Amino acid sequence: MSWGDDLHRDEIPPGTLYLLILKTLARSGEMHGYEIADSIQQISDDVLQVEEGSLYPALQRMLIKGWVIAKWGTTAGNRRARYYQLTAAGRKQLAVEMSQFERVIGAITRVIEAV
Amino acid sequence: MNWLREVARRLRMLVHRRQFDADLEEEMRLHLELRQQEHLESGMTADPARAAARRRFGNVTAFREKSHMAWGWEWIENLVQDVRYGLRILRKNPGFTFVAVLTLALGIGANTAIFSVISGVLLSPLPYKNPQRLVARRKNDSPPNVTYIQKQARAFSEGGGINVQKMDYTGGAEPVRVRTGLVDAGFLETLGVQPMLGRIISPVEDRKGGPHLAVASYSFWQNFLGGDPHALGKAIPLGGNIYTVIGVMPASFAPPTEHADVFVSMWAGDPRGAAQRDLHVMHTYWRLRTGFTLAQAQAEMAAIDRRLAEQYPAEEKERKTQLVPLQEWLVGDVRPALLVLFGAVGLVLLIACANFASLLMAREVARHQELVIRAALGAARGRLIRKTLTESALLSVLGGAAGLLLAQWGTRILLALKPEKLARLSGIHMDTRVLLFVLVISGLTGVVFGMAPAWVAARGDVAEALNERGRSTTASTTGHRLRKILVTSELALALVLLVGAGLLIKGFSRLRSMNPGFNPANVMTMYLQLPATRYGEIPKRTQFRRELLARLNSLPGLQAAMVSDIPLGGNYVDHGFVIDGHPPVAVGGEPDVQTLSVMGDYFRVMQIPLRAGRDFTPLDREGQPLVAIVNEEMVREFFTHENPIGARIHWARETEPPQWMTVIGVVGDVKHSGLDQPVDPAAYTPFPQSNEIWRSWMTLAIRTRDVSSGLVEEVKKQVWSLDSQIPVSDVHTMEELMAVSLAQQRFNMLLLGLFAALALVLAAVGIYGMMAYRVGQRMHEIGIHIALGAQRRDVLRLVLGDGAKLACFGIAIGIAGAIALTRLMTSLLFEVKPTDPEILAVGAIMLAIVALAACYVPTRRAMRVDPMVALRHE
Repeated sequence: MSWGDDLHRDEIPPGTLYLLILKTLARSGEMHGYEIADSIQQISDDVLQVEEGSLYPALQRMLIKGWVIAKWGTTAGNRRARYYQLTAAGRKQLAVEMSQFERVIGAITRVIEAV
Repeated sequence: MNWLREVARRLRMLVHRRQFDADLEEEMRLHLELRQQEHLESGMTADPARAAARRRFGNVTAFREKSHMAWGWEWIENLVQDVRYGLRILRKNPGFTFVAVLTLALGIGANTAIFSVISGVLLSPLPYKNPQRLVARRKNDSPPNVTYIQKQARAFSEGGGINVQKMDYTGGAEPVRVRTGLVDAGFLETLGVQPMLGRIISPVEDRKGGPHLAVASYSFWQNFLGGDPHALGKAIPLGGNIYTVIGVMPASFAPPTEHADVFVSMWAGDPRGAAQRDLHVMHTYWRLRTGFTLAQAQAEMAAIDRRLAEQYPAEEKERKTQLVPLQEWLVGDVRPALLVLFGAVGLVLLIACANFASLLMAREVARHQELVIRAALGAARGRLIRKTLTESALLSVLGGAAGLLLAQWGTRILLALKPEKLARLSGIHMDTRVLLFVLVISGLTGVVFGMAPAWVAARGDVAEALNERGRSTTASTTGHRLRKILVTSELALALVLLVGAGLLIKGFSRLRSMNPGFNPANVMTMYLQLPATRYGEIPKRTQFRRELLARLNSLPGLQAAMVSDIPLGGNYVDHGFVIDGHPPVAVGGEPDVQTLSVMGDYFRVMQIPLRAGRDFTPLDREGQPLVAIVNEEMVREFFTHENPIGARIHWARETEPPQWMTVIGVVGDVKHSGLDQPVDPAAYTPFPQSNEIWRSWMTLAIRTRDVSSGLVEEVKKQVWSLDSQIPVSDVHTMEELMAVSLAQQRFNMLLLGLFAALALVLAAVGIYGMMAYRVGQRMHEIGIHIALGAQRRDVLRLVLGDGAKLACFGIAIGIAGAIALTRLMTSLLFEVKPTDPEILAVGAIMLAIVALAACYVPTRRAMRVDPMVALRHE
């Protein structure tokens, strides 16, 4: 369950992968894995680079928790893909993660600026 | 409820595992391909594009595994894998698997079977209401005393008595004798078992001149009333009277000590006995009133005893009431035997566990190398331990299953072998609690001894293990020492069992070779009773007896006589007696003598030797001077310094003037009450001279050339030609009665013998397994010895010496253990000391032979070692 370990070579802060996925899905409705990875990268102006494979274990855990549901559909290029969609529980979780993130960032900021 | 939905989601994944993996695979492939596509579009060539896509994705396999594991089913998948692997390993070593499973099965099966019997007898509650409040009076009591105590004692809420007598039932095709429980109204009430049909006899009906009512047992209802649900109100002819059936007891009900087919009020069945103060024939049972203890009841009974003694000094002087909890009263006789068996079975369990442990260790030590390499290649220690654990768990499960079968089978066998005294056993089945207990014990053995090697291996040094080929690592030497200890203790325990069994066998053979005082070969016995209604006067009985004997003796090839109670038949009558010219004894304090009436040439038929004086003749009949013949024990006890021939005796408490009998002869002692029982003083008198009106029964003793059933039919014909209403019952050969008398001892001996055999086999397997393993390990060393010129003799000494040392150790400890433990079984031994040196020696020698034989096979293998092969093999 230690997400930090999985992401130790990534530039996204530890523990924020859920937040990023949840937020991305909240913004754009339904997406498949590749789209989620792309979306995170583009919106962050290529700053946040996720090791793309790590999305998949994370998505599994979110499926278990019931934050997202998945169903199979077809892509624009007419290929089968699994689309993920936020559930009500997922929206609630997004709010939780957001406030947690802000609290941590706020704290870090205060520490840095206190110098 | 959220967690519930989560569990449901996880379960769905478990069920559709394959689909799930395929989906994930497809999803990831799509991702990679789309990324590759992107790179191709930005101008890369195919191969670098794929490589770049993979680089950005990361380790595909790792992520696939992580995604899979996220669902938390890893353990189940590992378990399945381990079980498959374990089964494969077990299949590959059928010898090892067989021995291990057999060891466990024997340990588990034997333990469960025996313990089921023990718990059934000693631990399970009696089938009565609140049985822990029931107490029994050690000595029998008379009906008037029971009534008196019921009225006087405050410590009892209820109480009652039963006296089982055989009565003629003439309602069927043939007259038969049924066991009739003569009870007072309190008896069934006290035990508190509800009748299945109808009701029980009420106190109002249980009185002098009361109605003739009968409560049938379940078996009587089935056999004689056709299981008819409308049997209530039916009239049945019993003992010359007609009784009305008012109730039927359930199948589970039986009186505490003896079986009865039907229950009637003593006032109806034996009105004379019911009124007789000194007729102490009732087994009495009492229920402690709430708030009263056994001690209080005992104290109150002492007071009541004193009052009774004051009121009836002649009859009730020596009451000495002793109360015993009913359970204790019932199992008292068999308890020591069962406890010894229990101890024996515990030893077998220990041996079986030691064997299992040592088998596991031998194998795991042999696999040490494999385990160390697995650990070195990155297998997690937990996983290694789990793997070996799964294997021993598999063995435990297989052994447990086999043990379960054995337990069921064994319980049935035990019940088939049970002696008469364990009659209560009919309701016993295999005890599941016990089975679980034994399963857990053997399972734990498997866990502990299965895990230890993996634990050591996982810590082990790979280089060392590989260099030394796993031979002399710390793991294997400590393992070996432990195995030595295990095998030594197995041998010691086996010896204890062997000695125990040997003692019982010796005792039993002593008992068998006991001279019963008569010749039991070719003697047939049958019981008759003359109904009081038609044979009220003694002359009529004498006439019947004389006529019957005359008719029987006119048949070719047989010699018939009769006695009131046959030896080993379980009954006899005692009389107090007075010897003419001896100092007078206080009334009630007269010594007792076993009193037997005979007719015909009884001593000749039974081949009881006449030691002095003369035998009875047909002239010793009614109207002639009264005569008696006594046994040698009587002479030893009462005629120490005088010639018994010509002495005069009379029964105590007789009507005045006393009827003096002259002793005319002395016969040899007869083991009347059992082969393991002491001989009581006995006096024989002729049936025609008896003036005792109640002496209405007799047992025929017929010596013949062959005891076939044709004889029985012939005798029945003769009896029924005299009176067609007289049942002929208890048809036994004298040899059958001897066997019954030996049954308990035989049961003990058989069981302990079985355990000893079991222990011997297990110990042999244990020492064989260890020696075989040792030889396998030392092949190389032995090869060098032989290459350097060692003779077969030297190899023999080298290898066998190892085994012999263990055997000696085991035997020494075993002898000490046997001396310490067999003392506990003193009460089971007949004329054998628990430290019988002969048995100790035989047991030790037997064990030594078996142990050396077990060592011999691996030793021979060692002697055949071809040095070239052994050395090249390395």
